[in-house]
Amino acid sequence: MARKAKRDLTMEEQLARGPLDLPFLMLVLMLLGIGLVMLFSASYYTAYRDPTPPINNNPYYYILHQAAYAAAGVVGMYVISRINYQHFRWMAPLALAGSIVLLVLCYIPGLNAPINGVRRWLRVFLVAGPTYQPSEIAKVAVVLFFAARLCKRDTEHQLRFTKRTGTGRMLNFLERIGFLELVPYGAVLLLVLVLVVFEPHMSGTILIMLGAASVLLVSGISLKWFAGAAAVGSAGLWFIATQTPYLTRKINLWLDPWGADAQSDGFQFRQGIYSIASGGLLGRGLGNSNQKYGFVPEPENDMIFTIVVEELGLVGAFAILLLFSLLILRGYWIALHARDKFGMLVTVGIITLLAAQVFLNIGVVTGLVPNTGISLPFFSYGGTALMIQLAEMGMILSISRQIPAPRKD
Amino acid sequence: MANRRRYQPVMKATGIPTTATRGNHSKRSILHRTLGLMAVCGVLIFIPLIWKLWDIAIVHHEEYQRKASDQWTLDYAISAQRGNIYDRNGSLMAMSATVYKLILSPRDLVNSVSKKDGDGQELSDEAYQSSVSLRQDQMVTELMTLFPDLDRDKVEQQVHNTKNAYWEVKTNIEEEDAGPLREYLAEHKTSSYLYLIPDAKRYYPYSGLAAQVLGFVNANGGAYGIEAVYNDILEGTAGRVVTTRTAGGTQRYNSYANYIDAVDGYDITLTIDTTIQSYLEKALEEGVKDFDIRDGAFGIAMDPKTGAILGIASTPDFDPNDYSAIVNEMLLSELEENSAEIYESLKANNTEHLTDSELMAQAESQARSDARNTQWRNKAIDSRYEPGSVFKAIILAAALEEGVVSESDTFYCPGYVNVPGYPEPIHCANRRGHGSQTLAEAVAHSCNPAFIEIGSRLGVDTFYDYFEAFGMLENTGIDLPGEASLKGAVWSREDMTNVDLAVASFGQRFEITPLQMVCGFAAVINGGNLVKPYVVQTISAREGTVIQNTEPETVRQVISQQTSQRCADILEQVVATGSGNNGYVAGYRIGGKTGTTEFKTEKGHYIVSFMGYAPADDPQVIVLLAYDRPQPKEQGSIYSTTGVYISGSNMAAKKAGPLIAQILDYMGIEKVYSESESAARDVSVPNVTGLGVPKAEDDLSRQNFRFRAVGEGDTVTRQIPAAGTSIPGGSTVILYLGGAQPEASVPVPDVNGMTYENAKSALEGAGLFMRASGASVYYGNTTTAEYQSVAAGETVAVGTVVDVKFFNLAEDN
Repeated sequence: MARKAKRDLTMEEQLARGPLDLPFLMLVLMLLGIGLVMLFSASYYTAYRDPTPPINNNPYYYILHQAAYAAAGVVGMYVISRINYQHFRWMAPLALAGSIVLLVLCYIPGLNAPINGVRRWLRVFLVAGPTYQPSEIAKVAVVLFFAARLCKRDTEHQLRFTKRTGTGRMLNFLERIGFLELVPYGAVLLLVLVLVVFEPHMSGTILIMLGAASVLLVSGISLKWFAGAAAVGSAGLWFIATQTPYLTRKINLWLDPWGADAQSDGFQFRQGIYSIASGGLLGRGLGNSNQKYGFVPEPENDMIFTIVVEELGLVGAFAILLLFSLLILRGYWIALHARDKFGMLVTVGIITLLAAQVFLNIGVVTGLVPNTGISLPFFSYGGTALMIQLAEMGMILSISRQIPAPRKD
Repeated sequence: MANRRRYQPVMKATGIPTTATRGNHSKRSILHRTLGLMAVCGVLIFIPLIWKLWDIAIVHHEEYQRKASDQWTLDYAISAQRGNIYDRNGSLMAMSATVYKLILSPRDLVNSVSKKDGDGQELSDEAYQSSVSLRQDQMVTELMTLFPDLDRDKVEQQVHNTKNAYWEVKTNIEEEDAGPLREYLAEHKTSSYLYLIPDAKRYYPYSGLAAQVLGFVNANGGAYGIEAVYNDILEGTAGRVVTTRTAGGTQRYNSYANYIDAVDGYDITLTIDTTIQSYLEKALEEGVKDFDIRDGAFGIAMDPKTGAILGIASTPDFDPNDYSAIVNEMLLSELEENSAEIYESLKANNTEHLTDSELMAQAESQARSDARNTQWRNKAIDSRYEPGSVFKAIILAAALEEGVVSESDTFYCPGYVNVPGYPEPIHCANRRGHGSQTLAEAVAHSCNPAFIEIGSRLGVDTFYDYFEAFGMLENTGIDLPGEASLKGAVWSREDMTNVDLAVASFGQRFEITPLQMVCGFAAVINGGNLVKPYVVQTISAREGTVIQNTEPETVRQVISQQTSQRCADILEQVVATGSGNNGYVAGYRIGGKTGTTEFKTEKGHYIVSFMGYAPADDPQVIVLLAYDRPQPKEQGSIYSTTGVYISGSNMAAKKAGPLIAQILDYMGIEKVYSESESAARDVSVPNVTGLGVPKAEDDLSRQNFRFRAVGEGDTVTRQIPAAGTSIPGGSTVILYLGGAQPEASVPVPDVNGMTYENAKSALEGAGLFMRASGASVYYGNTTTAEYQSVAAGETVAVGTVVDVKFFNLAEDN
């Protein structure tokens, strides 16, 4: 496709060709680079000791895969950043519908790819190809869909119903307090959450809820609904936590991690703590972790940050946290400067998801929050998840292109 | 735009849009919410994370770090190789090798059974239990297949003892068996519950040879002998590795690793010669059998000039490869008797009210442990005995040195002597008396009255001076453990009476260790120097560097060179013509002294001994042989159950003579024959067939042969034996003249009990030849044949040489 000359572009198109936000891009690339290095360091022994196909004791298995996905992901990120994000508005319902279909597919035997009876995964080509989690897509889809609808709140008119019937009066009341407006969101969210939570995928559920909530919050939904939702949510969580033995165990483990059996329930947590403590202030040096030699379970995955601390020390860990913090702050900065409300809401949703993941992952390994099994963005092994993550970053970069240049007057 | 149109119809169905918009928030409020979210997500959430990380990594650093390092620190010792022990020629007497133990952890066997089934579902308790017991049964079968000689019941019991995490299934698995076993274990992935661990094993290639000298190694290191005394030197220093490991236990090689190399133990080279040692042990063994010895025997072979022990043996002995096993027949036969005895005494003293079977078991184990202690002892060092007449050599040396006697002195022996202060006369061994005798004869006869006389000429003080000078009051200081304490063994100088002196003059009523006697005797004949005996020649590092070399050490010069020479001359006569005559071996000049001691506390319990050395003019080896308690035929008899007169001369000397000859042969010392000896040496018969009789006679007589002609004629047609055959000089060659034919074969006559001349003529009359050995003096009436190499009545070819051993029955003490 021949590139149009600038003068032939519409205003829209010109805006879409604006410069992407360099600080944000740099932060993403730095975290991605550090993440790859740390993944290699944390994973090679595990890979070396794993004789099962497709790993076959190849110490480079994880890093090679992750690096390939990262490369593809960076390309994808750039391509997405070139897309005029206004197109995402009409794509949003399609994406949502698509992800709901995928989530449903997860429940269909033969098409899904369950592991140990957990139905979180699908194959890229349904029957072949690498696996991915549709809930990762659902996260973005929900954010996009919510943003696409909520950005029009200010132009959306309130509805008036007939006052003659009781139903009508009831509806008028609900419209007035803003409940009616929330019904479609609630319905969509409920559907997605139900599909995800029964996979079961608790961490995905939490993230989708948080992403959706952030978009709703920033779009200006009355705070009382959040208070109400929080109350209902807490009650629900408490109910689930006390009624399901699996979650009860997790909660108890969180409350008293050192009381659990060091060899089974308490093992992962303990080893993570040992690993962090071994790092001390300055760390053992890159590649010198002792804990990754079979002590920390799955050091290439959720526990990777403990190995990071052991090798790079508190100093290195704080530096990485600082990068995350800067990335998040820059993300919100982009949101605040976004050209329109849609861009703002999408950015807030994605960045809040990222922040939540970082917090929950590191919170888990340090014992701050109960174990939810959330991976660390840019660090944990998972090619498709990384690609989706980078695609999300690409969306934000796309939004950053249309930030109006500061007026020079 | 398109979106809105799609949704509105749905809304319209129920409500009509109004002018008011749903979102009525000011931009400011949106901004505030976004900024709030920004603050929370970008800053606030990191605060608890940072606090937590700080708390773990800095505040609790030490605590957690220690726990962490506990689990990945690998700290183990590298065992040092124990040094080898060699004999003087470098033959390996003790070495260490790696063997393996197979360890089963019944507890981890249970843990290895998965709690989930093939599909990852949790098993029910019942199903789990049954799969555990199935695995255990499999394990029992596997072990029984691997080691069919294991006791199945014990294996069953151990495998099901699931509290235990360490059971030694099998120990001492050699490398060759460990290899396939290791493969088997790897193949079955048993490493978490069934595995091999290395262990050290001590090998003694000569098994029982010099067992008490070497000692053995038990779990605590060296016990007994060289292994004990030189444990620190042999043991080396264990090394240590401190490094990190993986969760699987694999050692990691990295910069944290800290290696301290093990220092292997030093090798020890002994002065012991395995060949001489084996001769010595064989002589002891033969004697024990031939004389029905009941309390074992001991022997020492030493270089008299340096004190280097060439061999030192004590029976009953044991095999250090299996040091707890009781193998000696004598000990085994006594075992039952002793345990019965202990049982009786336990029963009489049963304060704990044990049952009979418990008492019996206790008695048995007590008896076994006693027997073990007996076999581990080296009696040549750690027991005391009365040396008896052997000690007369010391008295002789002292008297000659002091000049109180000389070779020309004569002594009269009436068969007894009265010692003032002693109520009854002290008898000579020969109660008829030796009559008048020279000093040399008195020694040769081992005459007690003569030596009481000599002792009294020395006097108590001088005696005591020499007693001390010859090392009788102190341990020799040999580098072997357990030299017997000499406390109460000897009178003090002040308390010694003339009666004590009288009995001490023939070596009785005081006790010393056999080794002291050897060293004292060596000083008498080696030029007068008391040497310090030793068994360790060198200590060297594995690669050959000598760390320590033992130089011969002279404690003191006791007598002069001349006196020593005079003593040696007299003592040589003891073997050549006197009481030591049974120790004589043609070709070697052996000197020595016999001894027979009856225990003062135990009538009928004798120790018979012989101290011999050779060659007399330049002693290379001194040998003490002693047999403890030859069993008398009956109460009060002086003959043993095997019919041998109980005395040092008839027992110890008889075994010592061939032993010394064997040792000298082995040492490469050439035989030197005296005139009378060379006459009897084997000579090759010249060819006289076809010669005339006078010429044949000439040729034969030149070779010291006599001849006897058979048949008529002038020319020798045949000769017996054939030309080139070696027969003893002085034998009679049979010449056949004319047509005379020799008989093909003849029966061998019985020469047992005959004198030398009678035996010789009897054999030669039958067309046979005699080669004599044994006692040196063949003419006395007491010297009789006691052994012939071909039994009487057997038919042999004419001209066969029959070995006949002569024996001199001596009455001595």
